Amino acid sequence: MPLLEIKNLKLDFIAGDKSLRAVDDVSITINAGETVCLVGESGCGKSVTALSIARLVPTPPARYVGGEILLNGRDVLKMSKTDLRGIRGGVVSYIFQDPSASLNPVFRIGNQIKESLKLHRPEKATDEEVIRLLKLVGIPAPESRIKDYPHQMSGGMQQRVMIAMALASEPKLLVADEPTTALDVTIQAQILDLLLDLKKRMGMSILLITHNLGIVGDMADRVAVMYAGQVVEMSPALDLLRRPLHPYTKALMNSVPKLSSNLQRLSAIPGNVPTLGNFPSGCRFYPRCPSAQPECANTMPQLVEVEPNRWVRCLYAKSL
Amino acid sequence: MLSFIIKRLLHMIPILLGVSLITFFLMALTPGDYFTQLSMNPQISPEKLAQLRAEQHLDKPWYIRYLYWLKDAAHGNLGYSAAYKASVSDLITSRLWNTFLLSFAATLLAWCVAVPLGIWAAVQKDSWVDRLCSLIAFVGLSIPDVLLALLALMFAAATGLFPVGGAQSSLYDLMSPGEQIWDRLHHLILPTIVLAASELAGIMRQMRSNMLDALRSEFVTTARAKGIPEGWVIYKHVLRNAINPLLTIFGYSLAGLLSGAFIVENIMAWPGLGRLTMEALSAKDYPLVVAGVVMAAALLVIGNFIADLLLAWSDPRIRLK
Amino acid sequence: METSPQPSATEAIAKADLAIASPWQVFWRRLRRHRTAMFGAVILVILYLTALFAGFIAPYGYERQDRERFFHRPMALRFQGGLAVQQYEPAPGSSKYQAVKGEVQRIHFFVRGDKYNLFGFIPSTLHLFGSGDPKHPINLLGTDQYGRDIFSRLLYGSQISLSIGLIGIVLRFGLGMVMGGISGYFGGKIDSFIMRFCELIMSIPALYLIMSLRATFPANLSSTQVYLLIIAILSFIGWASSARVIRGMALSLRERQFVLAARTLGQRDRHVILKHILPGTFSYVIVAATLSVPYYILGEVVLSFLGVGIQEPDASWGIMLNAAQNPEYLTNYPWLLAPGVAIFITVLAFNFLGDGLRDAVDTKS
Repeated sequence: MPLLEIKNLKLDFIAGDKSLRAVDDVSITINAGETVCLVGESGCGKSVTALSIARLVPTPPARYVGGEILLNGRDVLKMSKTDLRGIRGGVVSYIFQDPSASLNPVFRIGNQIKESLKLHRPEKATDEEVIRLLKLVGIPAPESRIKDYPHQMSGGMQQRVMIAMALASEPKLLVADEPTTALDVTIQAQILDLLLDLKKRMGMSILLITHNLGIVGDMADRVAVMYAGQVVEMSPALDLLRRPLHPYTKALMNSVPKLSSNLQRLSAIPGNVPTLGNFPSGCRFYPRCPSAQPECANTMPQLVEVEPNRWVRCLYAKSL
Repeated sequence: MLSFIIKRLLHMIPILLGVSLITFFLMALTPGDYFTQLSMNPQISPEKLAQLRAEQHLDKPWYIRYLYWLKDAAHGNLGYSAAYKASVSDLITSRLWNTFLLSFAATLLAWCVAVPLGIWAAVQKDSWVDRLCSLIAFVGLSIPDVLLALLALMFAAATGLFPVGGAQSSLYDLMSPGEQIWDRLHHLILPTIVLAASELAGIMRQMRSNMLDALRSEFVTTARAKGIPEGWVIYKHVLRNAINPLLTIFGYSLAGLLSGAFIVENIMAWPGLGRLTMEALSAKDYPLVVAGVVMAAALLVIGNFIADLLLAWSDPRIRLK
Repeated sequence: METSPQPSATEAIAKADLAIASPWQVFWRRLRRHRTAMFGAVILVILYLTALFAGFIAPYGYERQDRERFFHRPMALRFQGGLAVQQYEPAPGSSKYQAVKGEVQRIHFFVRGDKYNLFGFIPSTLHLFGSGDPKHPINLLGTDQYGRDIFSRLLYGSQISLSIGLIGIVLRFGLGMVMGGISGYFGGKIDSFIMRFCELIMSIPALYLIMSLRATFPANLSSTQVYLLIIAILSFIGWASSARVIRGMALSLRERQFVLAARTLGQRDRHVILKHILPGTFSYVIVAATLSVPYYILGEVVLSFLGVGIQEPDASWGIMLNAAQNPEYLTNYPWLLAPGVAIFITVLAFNFLGDGLRDAVDTKS
């Protein structure tokens, strides 16, 4: 049994009397000990999907319309509030994009970590355990820092505190939502290395959300690419990087600057990401797709396994 | 923290000096003085009047008088009130206390009602509770203190449930200590409600918007993701952040509070600084006016100082700057 | 180098959409959709129109006393062969009035009556309505302690209350913008001098300062003089807080590219302040000005109420409320509080409108 199984998740945002589909028929599985990358441009629904794993999207304005999110075999969408609190932190922990906003500015970092411990491992809610966690995430002189407030630390250190807080409850799954986007480039690599290292030591699964294909190869076992609320391609990471199947994935990879290749113009994807509520009928990528066929405008493609373990949402996946 | 306190304390001295200078200057511009009215009295000889004026240095230019006043004030002597025939310091002490008591009680009441209502409205955003609170806030912001005080007087006179004005009954001195305390409280209730009602609306609206801002913060998602119960998220994580801007508002609202107290005191016959200053102004009893204005400014400045301290205590980002 | 989070496509498109409409168009569109603001605006238009035509709408002059009818209660409207009011007679053994069953006084429209000057300079005797019978006047809101018609006095009083704020905010924000603009733009010694002075003014609770300032002028001024004095005093105190905010905005505008560009081009300071800095503060000024009109209305009320403002027999909402200060009057003749209700409605309308303006200029929401 996989650790996490998202099946056909559908989620709407209610705006006035309109309801806008933000996540449409998304299915993702994550096995124990696996790292999965969720890639896509901003606004494609990847963060909402990730937050849904612990049902953290506020309802309203959001509304779950269909599908299941099976965590250890139990459907998160049907859980009671009490069970949900056990899941949050207990089974799945989160770290977010901007650590300076994600830490509560008025509480000492030691207390914020201890809060997690009290909820999920009350017998370990001690200063010693907090110091051990801070040491684990590579914060120097942790004894002197547990009394610090978040604003007294650098962005990289704040993100390490977030990671320590997420790990405090010893989760099975760590969801990292663009954990390095707000950090300096030099710090980004450190944080990603730390995540890989911790994963090995603690044997947890990681769902890493990013819009940066460049880090996928180093981090991920498998990759899911999202576009306009849908998963358009899901493959083992190396296969996907060597030979992307969906036109969108190809376009994404072409827009990543490569040092090795001869200096050419970067190829940007023409057009804009369709906004919520303005999705085209048929294939959602069709207006921007270089290999679009007339049929693409009418028929919505399904996610199908075109090769072993490689799922693609494209009518012409096999012929391309 | 200590240097912060000392710096703010030292900052208060030039302000109070400036306030006393301005008031002194204004009183010097005011036509006539207390003795102008006395000169109508044929029983008082012009020599006697000149002597009385000289005692108060009224025969000298105002800036010289100001220096005399400063010298005396440094020794705790705020001058002599010709109208009341008493030392200004003695007169002002009980009035200062009354104004402080009224303002303090009103602040306490306003906060105790407004903060929970603001939280409630924010948590239940767009519900009927929220709409009702917003309506109350608009009415509260728009109803003039004068009208509210008059309505309170009307209520007291019509029902007899509360005394019509004043701070104590005429038989106060004959009462037992327990009765005396009750009598003071009984007189305090209506003015407090009137003053608090005018403060309440602003605090409530501010609290609501602070809560909404804090609720939108990312640390709320972090807290929920940790598995913290929703009530705990709101009352610990959100509330602590929403309170900080409110403490700044507390400083700002003090000026309005003291002006409100001025009105309430004058309409509801509450013997405070505002009423005393008004009486002193009409009697042209200048030492008393100066003392009244300076004391009112002192209440305001000290109140702001306390608000700053509270803010520094509550918000680590300010304290550790 | 730092990679910044990408703006979402939704945001980008929303921005593009707004860029097409000018800021003022966006502002108007948002204001018109604000229901309470529109409600407030409509009430204000009605109030200002009645104030403008006060002499015509009021059935009597503000000075006319009726020695037969002190503290007459408001007359109930009846519909009996046309619009009419209930008639009353003194209740035996009391100073109060009681209704006489079945007896009414017809209301006539466009009748001749007391002389007045429309808009202050067109003499006329035509009134919108009246009884046409001096023995049976129509007192819709009752009479006061001198037997004067409260409804008429309320209308005349509204001319003072409604105009005082409009003139006041021009003075206050004019002064505030000039001082705040200078302070923020030049900085240094000028800035610290102006700001210390503002701080000083703001450290005295407003009413204490207002009353002290009022005392420096003679007590027996004419109502016109007092009216101007009140505006001057309230503006002198009020500019301080406006100047502080405008200074803060000027400080940040000074560092913006377009101001730097203007200065690099060698434009005069005066030109830069007037053309580049102050327009950037307009949205704040519009909202703050609307919300500070009540400050003037209430200022007049408090001063007149406490006997150092507009003087009898002239009509203002403050001096009318002054009669209600006596608790005995208040319980027996509650209609004396009518001006209080009028103040409340006016201030409420300004607050509604100001709130809507604030939402409309707030680009965050």
